[in-house]
Amino acid sequence: MEVIKIIGVAFIALIIVIILKQYKPEYTIYVSILVGALILLMVLDELTGIINLLQNIANKTNINSKFLGLLLKITGIAFLSEFAISICQDAGEGAIASKIEIGSKIIVIAMSIPIISSLLEIIIKILP
Amino acid sequence: MDISLLFRIAAIGILVAVLYQVLVRAGREDQAMMTTLAGLIIVLAMVIKEISELFTTVRTVFGL
Repeated sequence: MEVIKIIGVAFIALIIVIILKQYKPEYTIYVSILVGALILLMVLDELTGIINLLQNIANKTNINSKFLGLLLKITGIAFLSEFAISICQDAGEGAIASKIEIGSKIIVIAMSIPIISSLLEIIIKILP
Repeated sequence: MDISLLFRIAAIGILVAVLYQVLVRAGREDQAMMTTLAGLIIVLAMVIKEISELFTTVRTVFGL
């Protein structure tokens, strides 16, 4: 049922973009940003359910909750930067999109340093 | 956070386009430029409000 709403909103926005493209091309970028935010906000409710499920599983199997929190942060960064990248590419600004991509990749790597270091420790322990 | 925002932006865009033509025909190019800028700023304010709402929601969901 949710998909139908998303597709409906997307088509409405598409029609509005096409209409505005003839009169005021600079407004199309506003409509695309707004419809992107609208659809993402619609989807975020289901996402909280998934995240709660993950946390329950992590608590049961006593995985270190710090890592799960970090993974969620990284997915959030990917979620937002993909939103920005696709809008920049849509507007024809590939350079800005690639800058956002590089920046978010560096931030993700910087945040995952604790995971990498703990992984190395585990490997060193296993080695004879 | 609903679809009326999209229609509002479309309405403002077309209104500004019409106003621009009318003012240019009336010989007031500077005021025409002003209305175009005003329309842009109004729509920008609406979009920024929605974007900030999206960012705060994502921040709370992902714990950023």
